[in-house]
Amino acid sequence: MAAWLVRRLAASIAIVFAVVTITFFVVHFAHGTPCGTADRPLPPEVCRQLCRRFGCDQPLWVQYAKYLTALAHGDLGESFGLHRPVADALADAIPNTFTLALAALLVDFVLGLALGIYQAMRAGRFGDVAVGNVALLVNSMPVFWLGLVLLLVFGQWLRWFPVGGPNNPVLCPHVDSPYCLLDFLWHLTLPALTLGLVGAAATARYQRAAMLDVIRQDYVWTARAKGLRERRVLLVHALRNALLPIITLFGLAFPFLFTGAVLIETVFAWPGMGRLAVNAILQRDYPVVTGAALLTSAMVVLGNLIADALYAVADPRIRVRGGGASA
Amino acid sequence: MPTARPRAGLTLAALACLILVAGCERPVGCTGEYCGTIVIASGGEPDILLPPVSEFAITRDVTDQLFLKLADLGLSGNTIGDEDFQPQLAERWEWDAPTTLVFHLDPRARWHDGQAVTAADVAFTYDAYTDTLVNSSFRSSLRQIAAVTTRDSLTVVFRFRQRYPEMFYDAVYHLRILPAHLLREVPRDQWRSTAFGRAPVGDGPYRFVAWKAAESIELAADSTFFLGRPHLRRVIWRFTSDQQVAVTQLLAGDADAVEVLITPDNVQRACADPKIACYPYKGSAYGYVGFNLAAPGDTTRPHPLFGDRDLRRALVMATDRERLLRNVFGDLAKVPPGPVSQLWWIWDPEIRELPYDSGQAARLLTRIGWTDSDGDGIRDQDGRPLAFRLLLPTTSAIRRQYARLLQEQFRTAGVDVQLDEVDFSLFNERARGGRFDAIINTWNSDPTPSSGFPQTWTPAGFGRSNYGRYDNPEVDRLVDRAVTSAASRDQARRAWRAAIETLNRDAPGIFLFATSNVSAIHNRIVDVTIRPDSWLALLRTWRIPADRLTDRDRVER
Repeated sequence: MAAWLVRRLAASIAIVFAVVTITFFVVHFAHGTPCGTADRPLPPEVCRQLCRRFGCDQPLWVQYAKYLTALAHGDLGESFGLHRPVADALADAIPNTFTLALAALLVDFVLGLALGIYQAMRAGRFGDVAVGNVALLVNSMPVFWLGLVLLLVFGQWLRWFPVGGPNNPVLCPHVDSPYCLLDFLWHLTLPALTLGLVGAAATARYQRAAMLDVIRQDYVWTARAKGLRERRVLLVHALRNALLPIITLFGLAFPFLFTGAVLIETVFAWPGMGRLAVNAILQRDYPVVTGAALLTSAMVVLGNLIADALYAVADPRIRVRGGGASA
Repeated sequence: MPTARPRAGLTLAALACLILVAGCERPVGCTGEYCGTIVIASGGEPDILLPPVSEFAITRDVTDQLFLKLADLGLSGNTIGDEDFQPQLAERWEWDAPTTLVFHLDPRARWHDGQAVTAADVAFTYDAYTDTLVNSSFRSSLRQIAAVTTRDSLTVVFRFRQRYPEMFYDAVYHLRILPAHLLREVPRDQWRSTAFGRAPVGDGPYRFVAWKAAESIELAADSTFFLGRPHLRRVIWRFTSDQQVAVTQLLAGDADAVEVLITPDNVQRACADPKIACYPYKGSAYGYVGFNLAAPGDTTRPHPLFGDRDLRRALVMATDRERLLRNVFGDLAKVPPGPVSQLWWIWDPEIRELPYDSGQAARLLTRIGWTDSDGDGIRDQDGRPLAFRLLLPTTSAIRRQYARLLQEQFRTAGVDVQLDEVDFSLFNERARGGRFDAIINTWNSDPTPSSGFPQTWTPAGFGRSNYGRYDNPEVDRLVDRAVTSAASRDQARRAWRAAIETLNRDAPGIFLFATSNVSAIHNRIVDVTIRPDSWLALLRTWRIPADRLTDRDRVER
């Protein structure tokens, strides 16, 4: 187990390193300078001075070597758009993205599992077909479009939810009271729903298929023959085995959540990593782009590592032996 | 005990509700004239709250509340002479000599940490703005000031290199006075990342409270402000990813104000809302198609097409600018009479320009040898089609819309236009390098043409903002006269008009639009005055009458 874990960690670090390297070179090969905005570019002498300061006037390999050296010391560099250390900017943004991703994950899996089980229990009947079609519709919607629709309907027209930001800046600039906690959750609802609903639609379809596969197994019939209640048969005996494909989906959900967050954070003015990265890309703020890529890839890799570990928890037949996990 | 669990659950739920309800009670106490809170939704966020090192308009909006100038522009927008300027830090000023300006600071002025504002702060500020290590983009605007010295703690002297019409404007408009006692020890090359820039101490009507990155900035009124207590108690900027989201926040009631409504559709929706009042004002931007007069990437040779003045003139006359403008902007812009923004005092619809005349354009093209010899709808000359590429950034929806309309309009004139839509950085790089045939560009201008115009339309801007390398010594001479030697505003206006008319005859570009802005502000806020060059410059005079306060205004934190 320890050897497997070490190998997986080494592979994870290699993946993150590759992502950082590719991002670094792709961003630097892109044309342009980091100087100014569309309608008010910086004077050339200011631009040159900035370039000297941030080292963008040096050969690319020198910049890369310096970046890696700094990275090894935990220094992600300084943003030349935000005029502050990249680590500080990311530290401000990560909790927001993490909260959004976690809430979306909750919606995704709680709703997805519930709907999948419901459909499996009513396979072929009206409820199954109706939920299946709605799930397919939601799953085929672009996430940013769904966000805009929810924003328009529930934010602008009905005014049930706020249309952006993580809080009410007048009453609750900080989450320091139950009221402000509620305010924060209220602001979180629409972006988390948007991101979670699309995922839940996919999860429901997977869960339905997995449940249908499992409830035809002999051990489920045995459980029923023993006289167990149907709910106990489904939730205890069938569900545990039907969870394995969902755990795979859990691992795969991380990239979706973080890429989806880029769009959702922009639509809902959510101050997370996605919005930070988009602004950095538009401003050619290389240190922030590379830092965001490093962190996102690390989180995705970590998510997959957790998913692998959960396999063992969900299925006792899976044991880790030398070369890896096997049944 | 079969009922014990539900009872316990109910009790817990009731307790939770009580806690929440208790938490929901907000101390709502403020009453009277000084309780208002305004939430401004903004599509951008400042990079740093230190005026010399930021060029963003949103930074200017925030720092205008934090830092004072010696004097500020009046509502007339007149940048010539000093009669239309309003005192701020300086309670008065006088001219000791034609090139010596003496300011007397208001002794009541205080930094928000309690220290007095002194002449040393002014001298320090000038030194910082002109320091190459700080490398402020405003440095070039101060080049005519030879020195700033202190006479005593409240008297400061500006000495100019020469006498010219906008001396006073140059001395006061760009300099937001900074606290020397807090910034003196910060190395100048580190000003762009100093902690002061994220928690500044100013001397303006509002003091800094908090900045949550990517979320909001909060300022609180300085109740002891020496020029009069601001009526609005709190000012909060909410940052969104773009201006459209900001407008949505306004329409949804999550914000009280936005600077511009951008599109005619937004204007219609916002202004129809009974809770919102709309305030139109002159825009500072103009947009144009600029022709590259030099061969792309080679400034020593003329452009194979646009080196020909007659061809440029024909293309200008073939463009129905009024119709394009209606399509893109509706009523939110005007066709400019040259490279001028509506904000500039030299704006004059009577300036002579080439008319829209497709017949005359066609005749001119034929006369200079461009005819459709093969009947494919595109004019040609010696087997070479009349075709060029139009460079524009993908980031601008307005310019992309214009590009498509222009492409169609030119096609009917027998000119083939291909679009080069590139990301902004590449656009900027190619524009500066002269690697384009024609370009759709937009400029945001200062209140005066004196700095922007020469940098864009005279050789002073080669390698900078004069991307198309337009050069006419007559225009240069007239601009120089307007900027440096006009004895009066009328004389300067005449020189500017002559310069623009000469430029229009050369047709170095097609001047497409000059923006008009519409701000939208919640109608409980009254006494709103917007100065077009800086919409929040007079924010401290805005107020909410006591009988229109909402809970949001009254809440105490």
